[in-house]
Amino acid sequence: MSRSTPPRIAQAILERRLPTEVAEAISGDLTHDYITRVVPTHGRLLADLWYWGQIVTMRVGSLRRAARRLTAIRPSHERNRPDQASRPDADIWSRIPMHPHDLKYAVRRLVRSPGFTIVAVLSLGLGIGANTAMFSIVNAVLLRGLPVSNPSELVEIYTSDGDGNPYVTSSHQDYLDLKASDEGIFSGVIGTRTFVARTERESRDELIFGEMISWDYFEVLGAPMALGRSFVPEEDATPGTHPVVIMGYKEWSTRHDRDPGVLGSTVHLNQVPYTVVGVAHEEFTGTMPVLVSSFYVPLMMTDEIMGFDSGGQLERRSSRSMFLKGRMAPGITATQANEAVKAFSTALAAEFPESNENRIMSALPSGDVSLHPLVDGMLKPVAVMLLGVVGLVLLIACANLASFLLARAEDRRKEIAVRLAIGASRGTLIRQLLLETTLLALLGGAAGLVLANWTIELMMAFQPPLPIPVDFDISLDRTVLWFTLGVSTFAGLAFGLAPALQATNPDIAPTLKDESGGAGKPGRFNLRSTLVVTQVAFSFVLLIGAGLFVRSLQKAQLIDPGFDTGPAAMVWPDTDLSGSMEDGERRAFFLEFEERLLADPGIDRVAMADRLPLGASVQTREFRLPGVPSDSPDGNHDIDDATVSPSYFETMDVPIVRGEGFGAADPNGEPVILVSEAFVETFYRGQDVVGTIIETSGGDPLRIIGVAADTKVRTLGEDPRPYVYKMQGRDRFLGQQFVVKGSGSSAELLATALRVLRDVDPDMAVVEAKTMNEHLSLLLFPPRMAALLLSVFGGLALLLSGIGIYGVVSYAVSKRTRELGIRMSLGASAEDVIRMAIGGGMRLVLVGGVFGVILAGAVTWAISGFLFGIGPTDVVTFVTIPLILSGVALLAAWVPARRASAVNPVQALRAE
Amino acid sequence: MPRGNHLGDLEELMLLTVLRLGENAHGGRIKDELEELAGRTVSISTVYVTLMRLEEKGYATSWKGEPTGERGGKAKRHYEVSPEGVEALESVRQVRERMWQGVEATAEGPVVV
Repeated sequence: MSRSTPPRIAQAILERRLPTEVAEAISGDLTHDYITRVVPTHGRLLADLWYWGQIVTMRVGSLRRAARRLTAIRPSHERNRPDQASRPDADIWSRIPMHPHDLKYAVRRLVRSPGFTIVAVLSLGLGIGANTAMFSIVNAVLLRGLPVSNPSELVEIYTSDGDGNPYVTSSHQDYLDLKASDEGIFSGVIGTRTFVARTERESRDELIFGEMISWDYFEVLGAPMALGRSFVPEEDATPGTHPVVIMGYKEWSTRHDRDPGVLGSTVHLNQVPYTVVGVAHEEFTGTMPVLVSSFYVPLMMTDEIMGFDSGGQLERRSSRSMFLKGRMAPGITATQANEAVKAFSTALAAEFPESNENRIMSALPSGDVSLHPLVDGMLKPVAVMLLGVVGLVLLIACANLASFLLARAEDRRKEIAVRLAIGASRGTLIRQLLLETTLLALLGGAAGLVLANWTIELMMAFQPPLPIPVDFDISLDRTVLWFTLGVSTFAGLAFGLAPALQATNPDIAPTLKDESGGAGKPGRFNLRSTLVVTQVAFSFVLLIGAGLFVRSLQKAQLIDPGFDTGPAAMVWPDTDLSGSMEDGERRAFFLEFEERLLADPGIDRVAMADRLPLGASVQTREFRLPGVPSDSPDGNHDIDDATVSPSYFETMDVPIVRGEGFGAADPNGEPVILVSEAFVETFYRGQDVVGTIIETSGGDPLRIIGVAADTKVRTLGEDPRPYVYKMQGRDRFLGQQFVVKGSGSSAELLATALRVLRDVDPDMAVVEAKTMNEHLSLLLFPPRMAALLLSVFGGLALLLSGIGIYGVVSYAVSKRTRELGIRMSLGASAEDVIRMAIGGGMRLVLVGGVFGVILAGAVTWAISGFLFGIGPTDVVTFVTIPLILSGVALLAAWVPARRASAVNPVQALRAE
Repeated sequence: MPRGNHLGDLEELMLLTVLRLGENAHGGRIKDELEELAGRTVSISTVYVTLMRLEEKGYATSWKGEPTGERGGKAKRHYEVSPEGVEALESVRQVRERMWQGVEATAEGPVVV
């Protein structure tokens, strides 16, 4: 065992308290009992408690007296001399200026004022919890590396696409050639691609996430198996011949109770049976960050996993959907690896120009890539921003506590002054005060960990609106725990140091003489005021940020996507995956479903499409546009497209602006298409294109019979995008999604559509069934999350600042009781007194607000890239937020100020 | 409080334990042995307070032993009964035996014959 020794601090405390005569012997005896008896029977935690208990109950006084008497008889106890020198541990600890009674004193003081302690621990817990939760996410997404051997030897290998994006997936054929062209650069290259498949669970189909992998995946990564074996070369040699699977550890432990008998059992993925040959190691969750892979199958099972013929994805060199990783041979640098794959891909391009021209490979050290080189660039600023936001919340919480502590310190000035006067050193007092705050901060850290754990559980339950279940691997690992400990200690020192220094100011004489205690002088800008100003400024920045994101979300919701977003239901029957339907059957099913839907009195319109705008997937196809120049070497244009039923335009309310729709066209006659206005603008500069014939990449003619109005296709913020609508015909009945409209709400429409689906085919699975709002929420998910998170943190900051303002005003009022009493006895009215008390607080808010505006102005420019439809100096936000903040501040100041007016002049004067 | 060389009850038991344990007489073992043979459960502090008192009275001597891993690298303190200690034990025993003379153990308990 690596650490089965008693708690070091406890041991150090014990040894310092015991007389030298027996310190080592007793410590050794306790350690012996701890290791050999208590830990094995009660476990570490209880053993630690037992050990602390021993220290508390140790009769130190008796031992010391006995030792003193013993040494009095033999003052030069020669046998104990060397003991001192041979106790290096005790020596180190004796240099750390901490006494056990300091700790006792600190604990006693915290226990004595439970109200303060609870408020302090809770507010710190909120701050630290927010930080820990946020850091856990950043850690899981960006920081945590793969749990494999020597990760520094790994590189990510990408192939460029035709559009100049250098980091795109690679083809299986290219991968095999790269592996074969061994020039001593790599000790291994692995290929992997992700999949989502259906598996049976408790007689219900569920979607799971997994990876298709090259046979040497686990060997090259150096990721061990928990059970069984990894794949062998022949399992990854011939397509479709070896249905074997390696199970992910989480799948094994949650679904199979860690039953070793799972080896050799059968698992169905998309209704194909696979034999389980191994279970991956606990720490290894696959090569996709954050996502947890439930199953690993050989790449040769691609067709079976895809559920239908994948169209030769393994054989076609132009089919690129694999992620490659290489392990560099000893002595090879990432630069050399990069040069090597570049040279290799250049040679491939010369050999296979039709598929590989301009497809250049590059290799980046895996340590430099978190999710993807391009995504990282977008995520890092987001991560920095979110950590900055929670960092500010923590600072505000710290400022509050510092403020409370300062107030307490003011009240203890006399006590401290007396202690200084009778000879206590300033260091000792500071040490005691800091110990108290550090203790508070550590308690806050513990509360924070609990809160963070809840938050993470909550967030993991909060699925983004994606059709696949996402199993996030976000956990409080060791890095996170260190982070929290660091943050807590920092917080303890940050909010404890200033009060400790101020309280122990060696300027004793004035304090001892000053009757009033020297605090709360009106108009004096002391440390507490500075803290409030800082809090207000920080809250202001957070609230402005939150306001901007909320406004941005509002704007995004107001964007017209170009189609009708009124009540509608969307149902996607799973004809591709849940059975081996023949094309004819599939077509018959779709037509029957459509007919039965339309027969329902609640449903007016039904459309079919293989892709809906603003959905999760992006689908493009290559077209040849005669006479239109292209940047691509093959002269083709990559254009977003969808295959739709004739009723699509009417159902989605997308107007046909020129020509005609599919209504009159013969689905089995000449292939016809509609194009979007942006298509016409982009490729034909607004000319009339009705009647023009374009071609598929294979050279088949497609006649343009009409032009449809633009709709948003991929994102709400995009500029109008060229779009091609193909007509649903006899041979185009793959994966159809139904859009249903009629009377009633979206939810009612959805219920009706699903009921009709059950009538048509009770066994038909559903890929996705959702309302129009749910469909739209996918794209609004990031802005909604940003607005939600910032609003929560902004609100938290506002609350903490409100408490801060309340505290300062309340304290000032209590210190000025005498002065206010005099004023009132001289004729000042209650209103005057309230105004005076509030005025003091609001002055601080004003100063903080001015700093806040300046700070917010600087910070919001940094987030302008995330905003939508508004600028970073949005007037509405910059007017609303100060109003809200002032309102809260006024309330926070008014409550204690009102108390001031209730002062009885006579009592106030008598009080001192 | 006058402190002669009188041997207290616990002191007597502990001295006997040290004697019985011989080379193995150190704090932890003494505590365990006392618990096992005499049924006396004492705290570790009491053990050492008593041992130091015995040393003070000159009935026992102690020295530092070798550190071991199980003890977290801490050395044991070994104890040995001094000749004076043996003498004291002997005298306690003689007192006891004198007192027991004329007392017989019967089924109903000790009776004077």
